[in-house]
Amino acid sequence: MDPKKSAAAAVTILVPGPLHVSAGGASRLAVEAGSLRAVLHEIERRYPALHRSICDETGAVRRHINLFVNDHHMRDRDGLDTPLSPGDVVSILPAVSGG
Amino acid sequence: MPDRVLLTIGTKKGLFVAEGSKTRRGFALRGPFSPGVAVYSALIDTRGTPRLFASSCNPFFGMKVLRSTDLGKTFAETKSAPAFPKEDGRALANIWSIAAGDGRKELYCGVEPAALFRSPDGGDTWTMVDGISNHEHARKWQPGNGGLCMHTILRDGKRMHLGISTGGHYLSEDGGAPFAASNKGVGAGFNPDPYPEFGQCVHKIAGHEDAPGRLYMQNHGGWANWDGPGGPRPDIGVLRSDDYGRTWRSIAKGLPSDFGFPLVIHPHDPDTLYVLPLDPPTRTCPGASPAVWRSEDGGGSWSRLTKGFPKKDSYFTVLRDAMSADELKSPALYFGTTTGQLWIGRDGGETWDCLFDSLPPIHCVKVAVV
Repeated sequence: MDPKKSAAAAVTILVPGPLHVSAGGASRLAVEAGSLRAVLHEIERRYPALHRSICDETGAVRRHINLFVNDHHMRDRDGLDTPLSPGDVVSILPAVSGG
Repeated sequence: MPDRVLLTIGTKKGLFVAEGSKTRRGFALRGPFSPGVAVYSALIDTRGTPRLFASSCNPFFGMKVLRSTDLGKTFAETKSAPAFPKEDGRALANIWSIAAGDGRKELYCGVEPAALFRSPDGGDTWTMVDGISNHEHARKWQPGNGGLCMHTILRDGKRMHLGISTGGHYLSEDGGAPFAASNKGVGAGFNPDPYPEFGQCVHKIAGHEDAPGRLYMQNHGGWANWDGPGGPRPDIGVLRSDDYGRTWRSIAKGLPSDFGFPLVIHPHDPDTLYVLPLDPPTRTCPGASPAVWRSEDGGGSWSRLTKGFPKKDSYFTVLRDAMSADELKSPALYFGTTTGQLWIGRDGGETWDCLFDSLPPIHCVKVAVV
């Protein structure tokens, strides 16, 4: 889906604590986007360091990063083509793992 | 006048900095910087005002390069980190080496999957070096246990040596373009052909400015009893070249094992080198008794340095970048273990003390007098 062709909706992005510094100190970002892919496109444009922390250089979402639209993981919707509606909340959540 | 000895200690849980006087009686520790995130490589850059660099290898949020301009009191991310071009298809998995280039600001970075990046501006921007990163062999290299890593970058004027595991030794005599595999005499234990053109699991390469044609290599040894295709191949683990890395010969005779990771040359004597042999199956201290082995004749013979080490029950590993030597008149060696101990070997490794005994697993240790 071409992000430019999606109908833009006003949505909120929740940024996890370790990435606030890459989002200019913000914990929430307001963007206009019609899909998750368009959200990432907008993040890449406005906060390239934040985008690099979410996606690798091929554009794929990093293995340990989960993107939720409201309560739904993107894999249970349409992946990066998941459409967004006004008021949706997109959460960027790192997986809980390690040792 | 440089009067402090500075250590960077890259660990599984971040970067530590230790600082001591030139007496090296004791060191004060600070950190961790980039807490909780593995640090596989560091550079204490003494060109001009000293700067410290370290890789922060975050499996969640990707790779970063950290820089300090206050001798390791604070660190900040550089403006960008190495990244493959979008159309390349590869994605950065780790940063294994950071090395100084020309002038005061040029840097090189060796990464996983094995590729080389260059920064002209002290780490703020990076471009891939095509001569090796897109070498015709590059898509045929295979990862070793630690990943497909470019871990060694050695420069000698326009000559550049690279160590890749598992790729082997590559040499450019023209500033990085082109590179050629240069592994004549470098054995591989996991290949039916004992001496392939490339694909060796090189662990470390070291050179000395006073002997520019000479190089030493710690290769993946431990194949003396191999009974598979191609037969046994003893003593392929510790090697020497006297022709700028074009050909290599074994200097492993006399060591308890030709398997190991780090190799360090005495800062004032290219004939003196140090290795830390490991038991091949466990990759820990042979006989559970740690020892650094020193040659003072370029690998012709070896002596065992053990004063201060436990005599038994030690099962640590020292990784490829985790041993260094300072450049004071009577240099000290330093190594860090996978069990989180940092050891100092004063008087050129004659006597050993444990400086810190409970750090996280240590990946890399670098030292400089600043």
